Amino acid sequence: MEHFRLFVLPFYAGAIFLLITLLFKYIYWFVGLSREQKRLFWRSLPTRATWKSILEIINESLLHRKIWRTNPLLGYMHTSFALGWFLLITVGWIETYVYFKGEGVPLYVDIFFSYYVHPIFERAFNFSLIKDALLLLILIGVGLALFKRIRSRVMGMKRTTKHMLGDRIALTALWLIFPARLLAESLTSAEVWRFGGYVWTLSENTQLIPPGIGCGSFLTGSLGQWLANFLPARIIEAQHIELGAWWIYSIALGVFFIALPFSRYMHIFTEMPLIFLRNAGLRASEKETTYDRFQIDACSRCGICIDPCQLQSGADIQGVQAVYFLRDRRYGRLTDAVADNCLMCGRCQQACPVGIEQNTLRLNSRAKRAYPDAPNRYAYIQGKDPSTGEGKVGYFAGCMTLLTPRILLAMEQIFAAAHETVWWADKNGGVCCGRPLKLAGEVDAARKMMNFNKELFQKHGITTLVTSCPICLKVFKEDYQLEGIEVLHHSEYIQRLLAEGRLHLHAGSETFTYHDPCELGRGGGIYDAPREVIAALGILKEPAETREHALCCGSSIANTAIDDEGQRRISGQVATALAATGATSIVTACPLCKKGIAREATIPVYDLAEIVARAI
Amino acid sequence: MTGRVIIIGGGVAGMQTAITLDELGFKPVLIEKEESLGGKLCRWDRLFPTMTPAHEVLDDLRNRLGSTSTEVHTATTVSGIEEEGRGVTLTDGRHLEAEAVVVASGFDIFPAERKEEYGYGLYDNVYTTVDVERMFREGGVRMANGQTPKTVAFLHCVGSRDEKVNQRHCSRVCCITGVKQAIEVKQQIPDAEIFSFYMDMRMFGPGYEELYRQAQQQYNIHFIRGRISEASPTIDHRIHIKAEDTLIGRPLRMSVDMLILAVGMQAGASNEAFSQNRHIELYPSGFLRPLNQFAGNVRSSSPRLFYAGTVTAPKNIGESINEGIAAAYQVARTLNSKRP
Repeated sequence: MEHFRLFVLPFYAGAIFLLITLLFKYIYWFVGLSREQKRLFWRSLPTRATWKSILEIINESLLHRKIWRTNPLLGYMHTSFALGWFLLITVGWIETYVYFKGEGVPLYVDIFFSYYVHPIFERAFNFSLIKDALLLLILIGVGLALFKRIRSRVMGMKRTTKHMLGDRIALTALWLIFPARLLAESLTSAEVWRFGGYVWTLSENTQLIPPGIGCGSFLTGSLGQWLANFLPARIIEAQHIELGAWWIYSIALGVFFIALPFSRYMHIFTEMPLIFLRNAGLRASEKETTYDRFQIDACSRCGICIDPCQLQSGADIQGVQAVYFLRDRRYGRLTDAVADNCLMCGRCQQACPVGIEQNTLRLNSRAKRAYPDAPNRYAYIQGKDPSTGEGKVGYFAGCMTLLTPRILLAMEQIFAAAHETVWWADKNGGVCCGRPLKLAGEVDAARKMMNFNKELFQKHGITTLVTSCPICLKVFKEDYQLEGIEVLHHSEYIQRLLAEGRLHLHAGSETFTYHDPCELGRGGGIYDAPREVIAALGILKEPAETREHALCCGSSIANTAIDDEGQRRISGQVATALAATGATSIVTACPLCKKGIAREATIPVYDLAEIVARAI
Repeated sequence: MTGRVIIIGGGVAGMQTAITLDELGFKPVLIEKEESLGGKLCRWDRLFPTMTPAHEVLDDLRNRLGSTSTEVHTATTVSGIEEEGRGVTLTDGRHLEAEAVVVASGFDIFPAERKEEYGYGLYDNVYTTVDVERMFREGGVRMANGQTPKTVAFLHCVGSRDEKVNQRHCSRVCCITGVKQAIEVKQQIPDAEIFSFYMDMRMFGPGYEELYRQAQQQYNIHFIRGRISEASPTIDHRIHIKAEDTLIGRPLRMSVDMLILAVGMQAGASNEAFSQNRHIELYPSGFLRPLNQFAGNVRSSSPRLFYAGTVTAPKNIGESINEGIAAAYQVARTLNSKRP
């Protein structure tokens, strides 16, 4: 107990509390995983996934490379805290090890090392210089964090997260830690400078430091020297100020550690198990699991998801963005108003530096409050077969294509021109693909639609299923498990017809701009097929935000809370962006997007099939 | 002091404004973008609720206008209105000077193609109420193949009270137009079955409600509360419709020979350009916003700019004509007070 000082207590208590809480949470969540999820995790150890995880932890938890891509200043801020602090702890630990020659000194000696030991400038190696440099790195980060509060735009963020009280306490403690440390170390240095001190040096004997030398390096040393000259000798000698500073440092650490598991700073540790679990193949599903907890607590509420959200930028709807959804869900105060008010366009997920599965989490939140599905619901669809025609290629128009019959007529012309014999699944009305119900959280009811359609597809022996609706496409691919049936979006099918020479089009010099439907692009990864088809017809002009960053049309069926005015405003946002390309018409590949954009567009909006049919 | 007053639009409101201004001793200048005067009324056969032939109203207005000294410019389009109503700019670049301007440019018919799910312009035998008036003028309702329809469905509120196409307002006159046309079809084809899909029937004028009752009791027209969700063609070129009868809460499907869309009134396309003038304001619907809806219906915030007719909101013919008179008197009041 030779090193014990009373001021280490707040830190010590905080650290032990933090450790117990983290272990409890992680073990509790891990135990709650399904057998299959656990099996996936154990099987991933040690494989390439493990190394991938370690690399990812370095890249994302320490270096925060994705945030650098959003904005360098923002990246610096996050990296300085994460990497800077991590290195500060690591260097402190090595330093302690070196000075105490591996003697088992208590943890707090590592943390408060400069209080105990006053290393002067050794010839061979200088820990103080490294520590001062790291401290400066972090202090600049703290300065940027303060600056972000005032002028977030400079840091690449128009809007920042509105934080809760717990977060504010933790934030204040975190910001205080590093200035407090600077002050404490400098005051210790001031005392040594004025009155001399002693140091455990690398040799056996304790060496005395005469007055006028001080300790620390360019930051703490220089500030110490200034303080020694500035402060009256009697105050320095009494050590009250020095001890007080160390107390503040320790309390700041303690408060931060105690607040951490209940605040957004839980992400610091939670991102690591999340990365391991994710690389083991775990994914969120349509029903809640404890894996979701790892994702939810890994959200740092950095707020990078707020700017891309068009509900916010286009319709002025606040407080429902991914960051707020995750926060509300984490603290058990999620309301339908928040859960339902989302286009599920995936723009936030695209921007999220932690890679949280926003859409699936939102979906399973909705599923949780869904009413139990009545057994006889949709009994009237049993045994129906509204399909017509015969062929190996099946075409599923979907509800939205039936409401935009120009697309259906265009597909008829395209199939006829390619001499394809087609089985028409729902030309005379059919059963919904199930995705709208699924997106509303009614996963069990949706399953009935899916089973009906799947049986129908299998009964008619099709080998290819073409749909012009990306909403249907997504559910066919992800939920139907259509073994032996290739599912194609009509853009892919048309592209294939062109490549095989089965369809010949008259190219023109018309200029088109293309709108990536969310469900097709971010949702299905299909970006090139429609572009290649357009390129065969005319000139394609890309809007400013395109492909993975494309805007949403605003008419998404996933949002059951937005009012018409909100949809219209978002439609105006995307229509303006598309018209700004100077193209003479807008092309998209989704019937819902077509309707959605047309509400506000000043130039004509076509589905891909329409411009293809026109050029046959 | 020239006494020249420009009237934009030669429909019923514009013609009446010119007639009254002439009576009051001013020099009206009537600008019409079409080849002839008359506006949308030229396309109508008979008028609700009295079944008066449209040409009777039109001929009367034209005759009275003809006996005035009105300077008429047809096939002329106005591109902008100068500040304080000092004149207008035409699309050919010319300027016409005046001491006041009356905007009577009317409305546009909602393009039914925008409601793609009803198949207008895509399938045979889907028509609008405007097409049906043309058919009446040309001798009667016929299907695309020339045959007489046996079942006809009317769909009300196409492009009215429909947020999905940004037309939130009620166009008012389409309800009674649909009722009138249903009766006319029945008069022409007594054994036809006629269905009328509506969400509300708004019978606001004298004799309208009576006509609606007559349609049900005397002509046996079936009114079904519920809008059609989609229409698709059948193999024999009939129209298959899906709807819901919301009074009994059941979905229904039927095939009809002809589907008639009761298209609404939307704001005139030129309103946007007119609103470049700082005294001309738009409602969110795109119609022009008058000074107030009570005693200032024909006035703008400028003492030399006036409105008449459907440029400010959907109206029937009588209301539009009255506004023409009201606007003329407001012009006179302003210009007379400026005289020495």
